[in-house]
Amino acid sequence: MSQVVIYSTPTCVYCKAAKEYFTQNKVAYTEHNVAEDEKALEEMQTKSGQFGVPVIDIDGNIIVGFDKSAIAKLLKLS
Amino acid sequence: MYDLLIIGGGPSGVAAGVYAARKKIKAALIAESFGGQSYVSADIQNWIGTKSISGLDLAKTFEEHLRAQEDIEIIDGDVVVKIEDKGESFSIETKNGKTLESKYLLICSGSHRRHLNIPGEAEHEGRGVVYCSICDAPLFRNKEVAVIGGGNAGLEAVVDLLPYATKITLIIRSDRMKGDAVTQEKIKADPKVEIMYEIDTKEVLGEKMVSGIKYLDKKTNEEKELAVQGVFVEIGAVPNSDIVKDLVNLNELKEVVVDHKTEQTSHPRIWAVGDVSDVLYKQNNVSAGDAVKAVLNIYDRLVKGL
Repeated sequence: MSQVVIYSTPTCVYCKAAKEYFTQNKVAYTEHNVAEDEKALEEMQTKSGQFGVPVIDIDGNIIVGFDKSAIAKLLKLS
Repeated sequence: MYDLLIIGGGPSGVAAGVYAARKKIKAALIAESFGGQSYVSADIQNWIGTKSISGLDLAKTFEEHLRAQEDIEIIDGDVVVKIEDKGESFSIETKNGKTLESKYLLICSGSHRRHLNIPGEAEHEGRGVVYCSICDAPLFRNKEVAVIGGGNAGLEAVVDLLPYATKITLIIRSDRMKGDAVTQEKIKADPKVEIMYEIDTKEVLGEKMVSGIKYLDKKTNEEKELAVQGVFVEIGAVPNSDIVKDLVNLNELKEVVVDHKTEQTSHPRIWAVGDVSDVLYKQNNVSAGDAVKAVLNIYDRLVKGL
């Protein structure tokens, strides 16, 4: 099974949409709230070079934003 | 070949789709996603019939309502990249490589966020340059930021940042603020907020991440720098009219000019509705209503040849 990590903020709609998409497709994920967790924020920045949410890590592949088709491809969802 | 291709999945596109299906027009709707620009709103309180709904939920109701119709083909996750007028019909190419044919077109492509278009901006997108303040404001805890834009969106970005940033400089190009009076008072009263008027932002500075901006103070004609770690750009919207720019008349704002009685453009087989059009009020309810007008007019044309 793929390791899925999402870096998010509670107010970010695209993060919410991404999480709902995972749930719908029965994909387990770990969430880091980078509004609170400064270590996770640093980790997100190091991984992606980005300072904006969501950042999604699927088995080391970094996706910036809720890019449904990129996520579907990596998770082999239809 | 379709009789009607609806381009867009916001309130106008979806309203048009529902009406076209119910009128049994041979129609298709193509949309990258549903919901339009309200998608990112945390709380919409003026969608008629609904006291309060998030943009995400509104988008879901749009999609559900559209998919409940039997008589329309829905092409989602795709966008139109080229439209060619064949005389009696249009040939439409999509990003995913589809070719569609339609007699009539209804453009509901909305608008996108205006960028500053200054050096350093594109390079720092997602590296301190922010276009979704509600998404990314919490990342700027204990940081100093600039918000560009004195309209409602700019003021709201300041409000989003108040719980997090240590200092917020609101940068306004004209000599006054334009947003809601209540929000104006709130941010003017906050000691964290500094407001600068008559400023042209010239450049976003920084190596990897944003470290500041360069600006022109039009009052003194002096160029200065301001050290910030974030630049929130909230300077309005640009209509997504590029795909039809060679087919219909646009105004100086690049909005598609329409007859507001029928929503028809300068082209006899193209209609346009919502934020892409020159409608005066860019509102979800207005867009949905105007889309209905357009579809009924198209229906009249199809059945009565009017």
